[in-house]
Amino acid sequence: MSIRILKPGVQTTIQAARRTGLRHMGVPSSGAADPLSMALANRLVGNAPGTPALEVTLSGMTIKFLEDVSVAVTGAVALCSLDGTAMEPHATLQARRGDILAVGAATRGVRSYIAFAGGLQADDFLGSSSTYLPAGLGGHAGKCLAAGDEIHLRDAATINPFQTPEEFQLPMLSSWMLRVSRSAETDRLQDSHALFAPKFTVANRSDRMGVALQGAKVSTDIEGDMPSGPVFPGTVQCPGDGSLFILSADAQTTGGYPRVAKVLREDLHILGQLRPGDALSFVERSAEEAATELRAKHDYWRRWLADIESII
Amino acid sequence: MLLAGDDHISITVDGPREAQAVARHLRADGAWLEVVAGINSVVVQFDLARMAPQDAIEQIQKASAEAFVDDTPIEIFEIPVEYGGDCGPELEAICELLKMSAAEFIEIHTAGEYEVDMIGFTPGFAYVGGLDARLDIPRLDEPRVSVAAGSIGIAGGRTGLYALPGPGGWPLIGRTSFQLFDAAADEPFILQPGSLIRFVDAGRQ
Repeated sequence: MSIRILKPGVQTTIQAARRTGLRHMGVPSSGAADPLSMALANRLVGNAPGTPALEVTLSGMTIKFLEDVSVAVTGAVALCSLDGTAMEPHATLQARRGDILAVGAATRGVRSYIAFAGGLQADDFLGSSSTYLPAGLGGHAGKCLAAGDEIHLRDAATINPFQTPEEFQLPMLSSWMLRVSRSAETDRLQDSHALFAPKFTVANRSDRMGVALQGAKVSTDIEGDMPSGPVFPGTVQCPGDGSLFILSADAQTTGGYPRVAKVLREDLHILGQLRPGDALSFVERSAEEAATELRAKHDYWRRWLADIESII
Repeated sequence: MLLAGDDHISITVDGPREAQAVARHLRADGAWLEVVAGINSVVVQFDLARMAPQDAIEQIQKASAEAFVDDTPIEIFEIPVEYGGDCGPELEAICELLKMSAAEFIEIHTAGEYEVDMIGFTPGFAYVGGLDARLDIPRLDEPRVSVAAGSIGIAGGRTGLYALPGPGGWPLIGRTSFQLFDAAADEPFILQPGSLIRFVDAGRQ
């Protein structure tokens, strides 16, 4: 009644819905770094969007099925095979007991999502089974999956296969544009155009906590530490060295660096696919534009994902 | 009051007590996705899919004006601390920097009564205010990747308590065996903003 991990890859965790309403206790959101891709995988196997699934990072992974179950892979561009046969992404596949699923290294984007009909069994922590690695909470004993781990399937099922329509297959790019709004310390920037003129490059020091940028330096007129203030996934921090850092799913809840922008709610899912070396630029939106564009994005995706407001 | 993001509203206040009072009052509303207090600010995350920014600002303005600081302490905790050694690997260097003996440091640190200013950064991490001015030191240049649960550090005029293991940049002075986290409890993190604390030298008990 389970799957076995043969090769775990550099960082594979169980992710599910976000932890919400707990940031005042210091508890980060966690959940899929790209929740839209995870919802698409879950949709292909008949699951609700936040059903526990695997989040695979960059290097790929291999698993063996110990029972029959429908499975789907979405997210990063990566070669995948089921029992030695190349498989289509964005489609439901039927894995048989003994089959081996190999998700290859990502060539575009960073994270692949593997969903199983019925979902994975995982540890609950404060209402979600998403893994938060720094404190070892949720998921599979709070840890990255290791070779030999067996993860139980909750209600393994096989369902009639289908594909994600092309218009809902998320494109994986190497040059991205993120929509941002002003944040608490935006008016302290030395040069308010500094955020929008240059192209930044995604730096290696990027993970589920946040995405580091290199390229243009950005500075504020703030010297030294500020009193710790609330930060969120999407907060763009400007530390003293001028290298921007965008907070992501596992971000801490408070911080002392100037907050110079915030990635719009509708673009947060992109943070999970920003790959070291990718080009990135910011474009500014007013609060009213942000609200209008969020509604438009929800309307678009609702045609395929019913509960879209819980996803993005 | 300031729109601090597409779905964030920031309120600046005088200090931790005011921040916690405003945050508690707004949280009781049940109308907000997150209400998080900092040292001298509160940020509210609202549901942009259901509420226009201008309406959110008006509601928050009205509600935060009704908040009041409740000075009744929540609870007083005695926290036993194993100072120095493996539990507090930076204590020796801190004492050297501050030109005092470990005994003097412990005497000063255990003398005061402290108040939890806020919980934040990582799960259950308590920022405890009121550190004696003689013990003011900066954070580590290189944060640790992992700090043990129960660890106690000082930096920037505060004592910090790590409820769970996690990354951390505060120089460590000791560790407590006091259980700061109980997964089964309604409030899993024992210390709350406003909790009063006395540190006790565990080596002397």
